[in-house]
Amino acid sequence: MKITIDGKKVEAKRWDTVLTAARRAGIAIPSLCQLDSLENVGACRLCMVEVNHPHWRGAKLVTACEYPVESGLEVITTSEEVLRLRRANLDLLLARAPESRRLQQMSAEMGLEQSGYVRPDKGTACILCMLCTRVCEKLGCNAIAPAGRGLDKRIDTPFGGYPDTCIGCGACAAICPVDCIEMTDTAKTRTIWGRTFEFVKCAECGTPVITVEYRDYAIAHRSLPADYYNECSDCKRRKLAVKFAKVGG
Amino acid sequence: MGDGPRTLVIIPDKCVGCGTCKLACSMVKASGDAMRRTRIHIHNISRERYVQMTCLQCVDAACIKACDTGALMRNEATGAVELQENRCISCGLCEVACPFGHMHFNRATGKPEKCDLCSGDPACAKFCPHGALLYR
Ligand code: FES
Repeated sequence: MKITIDGKKVEAKRWDTVLTAARRAGIAIPSLCQLDSLENVGACRLCMVEVNHPHWRGAKLVTACEYPVESGLEVITTSEEVLRLRRANLDLLLARAPESRRLQQMSAEMGLEQSGYVRPDKGTACILCMLCTRVCEKLGCNAIAPAGRGLDKRIDTPFGGYPDTCIGCGACAAICPVDCIEMTDTAKTRTIWGRTFEFVKCAECGTPVITVEYRDYAIAHRSLPADYYNECSDCKRRKLAVKFAKVGG
Repeated sequence: MGDGPRTLVIIPDKCVGCGTCKLACSMVKASGDAMRRTRIHIHNISRERYVQMTCLQCVDAACIKACDTGALMRNEATGAVELQENRCISCGLCEVACPFGHMHFNRATGKPEKCDLCSGDPACAKFCPHGALLYR
């Protein structure tokens, strides 16, 4: 089907969202909370666009990551109103997480001049983008979820307690765009969400490779031999290099 | 030579360990900094014996099997396993799964870094002054 984005005719597929169709056509729309492998939740609201249709009575503002395309849809990604809204949203996110490199970069790109919003003293930097919870769900662990309502809304373990199903993979901390998930690695253990995990140590040199629980998860859920998870990258590479050297004569 | 994609051929016998491939890689992939993070490594096995190591773009790749989101896919044109950043959920399992240690998970960006053959024009091979890396 054909849709129009910023006056340009673009071919879109049936289950596309405005964001995917735009990306395929090489039209950039800012996005923070969207990943192609996760369910879209429209949390960050940085992908706002204006949509209109010849059959409609007027345009409306929607999140591009969630809005499904339809034939004849007209999308405007850079109107005054759209830019104003995006900047206002980003301004609020940045007030909550001023240290986030990702948000700083986006505000530079969007030419945002920060207003005077400040986050309350004890507030966290979490912007509730739900990337961590969706990643955890995608891995099948569901160790964390949004809890509370309104101002109290936060990401937490079930009832704030011990995360039974957590495997200490650290994906939540790695994906967090504002780095607000605390994870502490030592030579022996990883602590996250109030739980401490033992590391599998490299069989050659002893550096931590992966948590024991994560290794067991990988063995159970991926079709790879169990001994693939026993060594660190440096040792694996060195071993192969030694083999190559022998073949080379 | 067949009709398939070209491959990066590593010839350790010719490597003198000069590190030009690493420099070229870091220029392309990390704009000159982070030499440790290059996608090609040189191993000094014994005196004057060097072996260059980079992703072998395995036919039956462990990284692809470790990835549950389809973020690692083969580029049929170049034969390289490439990362689709927008599918990656930062689980880091590809790094651990690679049996040869060629996947580097960057904790700061939350994404793995691997050799993608520079989309069919590998800088390391282009700059190797000793013919120890060939792309053919
Ligand atoms: S990317 Fe659409 S709301 Fe976050």
